[in-house]
Amino acid sequence: MRTGAAAGHQGYFHEAALYGSDDEFLAIVVPFLEDGLKAGEPTLVVLDEPNEKLIRGAMGRAAGLSFLNGAAQYARPASAIRKQRSMLASHVADGAAQIRVVGDVPHPGTGVCWDWWARYEAAVNHAYDDFPLWGMCPYDTRTTPDDVLADVARTHPRIASAAGHHSNDGFEDPIGFLARLGPAGPDPLELAPPSVELKSCTPAAAREAVLRAAAGSDVPAAEVDDLLIAVSEAVANAHRHGKPSVRLRLWAGWERLVVTVADRGRGPADPFAGLVPARNSPGGLGLWIIHQICARVTMCVGEDGFTIRMVAGKPGLPLTL
Amino acid sequence: MVVTAVGLGPHDHLCWAYDDAAEFRDRAIEFVTEGLAGGYRICYVVDGESARADLAGLEGIQDAIHRGAVQIDSLAERYTAGNVIDPERQVEAYAVATESALAAGFAGLRVVADATHLVGSAEQLDAFARYESLVDRYMAGNPFSALCAYDRAELGDHAIAQLACLHPNANSGATPFHLHSSRDADAGELELSGALDMVSHEVFPLALLRTDPRPIGGELVIDATGLDFVDHNSMLAISELAGRSQATVVLRTSGPMPARLIEILGLCNVRAEPPG
Repeated sequence: MRTGAAAGHQGYFHEAALYGSDDEFLAIVVPFLEDGLKAGEPTLVVLDEPNEKLIRGAMGRAAGLSFLNGAAQYARPASAIRKQRSMLASHVADGAAQIRVVGDVPHPGTGVCWDWWARYEAAVNHAYDDFPLWGMCPYDTRTTPDDVLADVARTHPRIASAAGHHSNDGFEDPIGFLARLGPAGPDPLELAPPSVELKSCTPAAAREAVLRAAAGSDVPAAEVDDLLIAVSEAVANAHRHGKPSVRLRLWAGWERLVVTVADRGRGPADPFAGLVPARNSPGGLGLWIIHQICARVTMCVGEDGFTIRMVAGKPGLPLTL
Repeated sequence: MVVTAVGLGPHDHLCWAYDDAAEFRDRAIEFVTEGLAGGYRICYVVDGESARADLAGLEGIQDAIHRGAVQIDSLAERYTAGNVIDPERQVEAYAVATESALAAGFAGLRVVADATHLVGSAEQLDAFARYESLVDRYMAGNPFSALCAYDRAELGDHAIAQLACLHPNANSGATPFHLHSSRDADAGELELSGALDMVSHEVFPLALLRTDPRPIGGELVIDATGLDFVDHNSMLAISELAGRSQATVVLRTSGPMPARLIEILGLCNVRAEPPG
């Protein structure tokens, strides 16, 4: 049996918790965790360092509380979904009636670009809905930008506050939200002309361009390898599912490489493309892999076709369109 | 990838997709000349009457033919031309020929064959590709080397790629990857090299089917030290091979990509490990 505000709820109980002070944060989160422990539910804390410290300070070494490294768990939306789904499946297999997770989703206030996390917050309503999960996403109103808070209000069907839990009238259907989401801003490197431009690109040519550019950068070898996989998958998808010609542009910085692959097609029809493994949707698995291994991925459809942007290294905060 | 047929050893198996007859003849003469110098018996198998003309300029050719060092056969004599090849029987025939060459005092057998006319239909091509893989397994352990020539214009790039990928060596542009028997049994049963991406999306699964490898102790070890790139579709094809073989495929590689994709795709029947 599920307990607390989520009692009787089927699937994912997805709550945003907006707070303006440390005390307010603790007033919302601590009872959520204590009730979970009391009910014998798997209760997980996946927060950034300062918030984890606050919880540890308030709850001491509360038996049963599991702490996961927030930065590792929330490195990328697609891998966060993959890891979280695997963890949830394992708890359900062990007989859990409900799993409670409090998790800090990154945003520009914590130094991370928001665009694909906005997609994440919408997509998880679908991606976690086959589990009895009560997930609480705290957002610090002192540091979270207004546009992020606006997206948070559209992507969470529930709101938690110190006063209690209630449904959110501003929640939008995830598919509609994702369709309306505007194109993500370009990387600052894109203000300059690309260092490589291929007007008709094969996977091998894309890999060669990345390898050459990487030789003059400080991007770690493992991340360059991941970008090689990503550009190959993107070019293959463009050839298989898009429309010619398949164009590649590459901007090389010291700390990062930015690659865009464009074709004249309409891009993936699946609104959740890239965030969940879609074995049956055209190109879905390739997109999902790209999203798991790049430091930033954006996709946009414009008048001249579909463009996917992939970043390796340390992504810059995107420019405002 | 090779640019000539020079410098090949007793177990080499070279595929040469040629664009014109002169190119084929040049490679054949390189291969035969070195074979004779190495003490191998040469078996020259081509269609029609061109063979004697091809070799006419070779110094000492008449003497070599006379003492049995060069045998010139037609395709119909050596293979079941026009029909679908029986891979096992053909390998057996070459094994007998290799033993016979050894018994006659030669260092082994070296074959030059233009097999273009043996792979015209889809059924012929499939059987011949299986034969190429099977005979490669024999070559890996016996002093039998071969130059397999195919006419690119007549067969087309797709058919050429299906054949060339099953050879350890091929000329430029014939295939982006190679899957063949390992020449070093300690390194693995099969050796996989080159790049596996969209370009080999159709040919690689076919190659895996045609190699029909035999797992040992529940494992199928592939020496992938020469594998430069692999995409997720190719990793899924390897996982399907593992499923078919009811074995775990072990990819020996120092490259990070197979392990990365195995983890992301959650493949339970494929493992990547550093070469021993």
